[in-house]
Amino acid sequence: MSSDVLSPGRLAIFAAVLLLVAAVPWWLPALVEDYWVDIAAEILIWSLFAASVNLLYGYAGLLSFGQALYFGVGAYGVAFGLQHFGLGFWGSMGLGVTAATAMAAVAGIFAVRLTWHYFSIITIVFGLILYLLTVGAKDLTGGDDGLSLSLPPFFSLGGVELDLFDQATQYLFVLFFVGLCYGAMWVVLRSPFGYGLKAVRENAPRAGLIGLDAFWLRYAAFVMAGFLAGMGGALFALFSRYASAQYMYWTVSGEGVIWTIVGGAGTLFGPLIGTAALIVLREEISSIWEHYLMVLGVIVILMVTFAPRGFAGLIEDAVRRLKPTPSAPPRSE
Amino acid sequence: MTNVMEIRGLTKSFGGLTAVNGVDLTLPGKELHAIIGPNGAGKTTFFNLISGFLRADKGTVRFLGEDVTGLPTHKISRLGVARTLQVKSVFNGLSVHDNVWIAAQSRSRFLNPFRPAHSYAATARKVDEVMERAGVARHRDDLAGNLSYGDQALLEIAIALATEPRLLLLDEPVAGMSPEETDRTVATVRELAKTVDVVLIEHDMEVVFDIADTITVMNQGTVLRQGTPAEIAADPRVQDVYLGVPEDDDAEG
Ligand SMILES: Nc1ncnc2c1ncn2[C@@H]1O[C@H](COP(=O)(O)OP(=O)(O)O)[C@@H](O)[C@H]1O
Ligand SMILES: [Mg+2]
Repeated sequence: MSSDVLSPGRLAIFAAVLLLVAAVPWWLPALVEDYWVDIAAEILIWSLFAASVNLLYGYAGLLSFGQALYFGVGAYGVAFGLQHFGLGFWGSMGLGVTAATAMAAVAGIFAVRLTWHYFSIITIVFGLILYLLTVGAKDLTGGDDGLSLSLPPFFSLGGVELDLFDQATQYLFVLFFVGLCYGAMWVVLRSPFGYGLKAVRENAPRAGLIGLDAFWLRYAAFVMAGFLAGMGGALFALFSRYASAQYMYWTVSGEGVIWTIVGGAGTLFGPLIGTAALIVLREEISSIWEHYLMVLGVIVILMVTFAPRGFAGLIEDAVRRLKPTPSAPPRSE
Repeated sequence: MTNVMEIRGLTKSFGGLTAVNGVDLTLPGKELHAIIGPNGAGKTTFFNLISGFLRADKGTVRFLGEDVTGLPTHKISRLGVARTLQVKSVFNGLSVHDNVWIAAQSRSRFLNPFRPAHSYAATARKVDEVMERAGVARHRDDLAGNLSYGDQALLEIAIALATEPRLLLLDEPVAGMSPEETDRTVATVRELAKTVDVVLIEHDMEVVFDIADTITVMNQGTVLRQGTPAEIAADPRVQDVYLGVPEDDDAEG
């Protein structure tokens, strides 16, 4: 728990990194082509999706292969809001996130009664059902072809209009909401609730014996994970001006699991690191070699075998080795 | 005054085997009660029934007058029953401190998701005090999963204490401990029993006869005898069970 206390040094490093990340639209184009700013935004968005897998797997011990469902509901909430209900920018975004969270609140009642592979299976089943429904309702959803969206500006006052068609504005818009979500996760995970979750993850019977209700803790985590995935989906719809059933397929959920495990499950920024590493890899490799999935497979096997705590674990170890830790206080004997 | 625990006709079968068979037990409180009996007598199953781990087939359990039969473990825990397990069971991936912390904090009805865990001064004090009392303070920052078996047993006691129980169920707490750890744990339990009612399952007869006020002897799922240590020691049937004399239902005649 001592690591939860912010020291001035940590705060300074954090502020510097945040500044660097916020300034991406200005320094990144100096190094690589402009479209990498959009890839950076995409990484941030998908990292929320991975974070939702991580909240369940890394903190509540529940491996979900169905988070794409909530991502898809988030995206379609935005699409329906804009194209069918005329809700405007913010109303549509709100609809997407709310619908995904509500969906998780319903599915969670059933899903978190189960654990281990039973839980994983029911999340796949829920995901498949909603995928098939979405593909089936092609008139409404566009099925696998999807729905294209026409985006209004998100801010307009006295002749000043801001929209997502400006690359830097869009990146900062995405960063703002992704940052809020990471901030919220940071607060929640260092709270008593966060410790309760970890206790359930480590040993649910023992957690019951100290008075923790594993069902409610898992349920709350499931709903929060639905919110995160829904926020990711809503941002993705706004970013790509597009919503499609293809993002609800269970292989998308599986990718979220891989990003999380490669990045480091059970760490706040592991999913972000994993998502960044593998999306960059995909961009680089898929243009020169069609067997991206094979490379991915090898990386996953290597990571799981040699670095089971993922990139975040490797970084943690490296930092510990570099920094001479303050030696333990001398024993009296 | 209400009894701390009143158990009537408690019964549990696994397939054809009746592990606990019509057990009655009344704990008036303010004493250290030991349960002894050979392996497979049903002692752990008995604990599993009263702590909500297993559902009884028959019988009732009352805790401080309240019927707790069939309640889930977390509700029974919140009423004030704490328990350690025979096969040590802690939060392996958390530090010793965090193991005790979450146990202490779980007494509040609501686990606040917004306030930093380290900002709870009262919990922090309690955790330090409990770690000291149970003898795990020097392992404060070690991962619970890396502790020796004896230290895990001590940590289990610390976790149980942190929940501020009215009744503490200890299932073979000193098994696997070094002699020093055993001495320390026996002293801790003896001290505890002054403020908390304790039920102790223990194989070490020296420990049992040293610290128990009353003893229940179980055999094959039933209560063979209840009494003071002196009464138990003098009972020939108890001696039979412990000397491994073959069971013979007609032997009484
Ligand atoms: N979950 C279970 N399923 C089947 N049989 C069990 C289970 N738990 C205990 N038993 C059996 O019940 C009997 C009593 O076991 P237990 O309560 O562990 O005895 P003790 O703690 O006195 O050594 C044993 O024969 C054991 O094999
Ligand atoms: Mg036993």
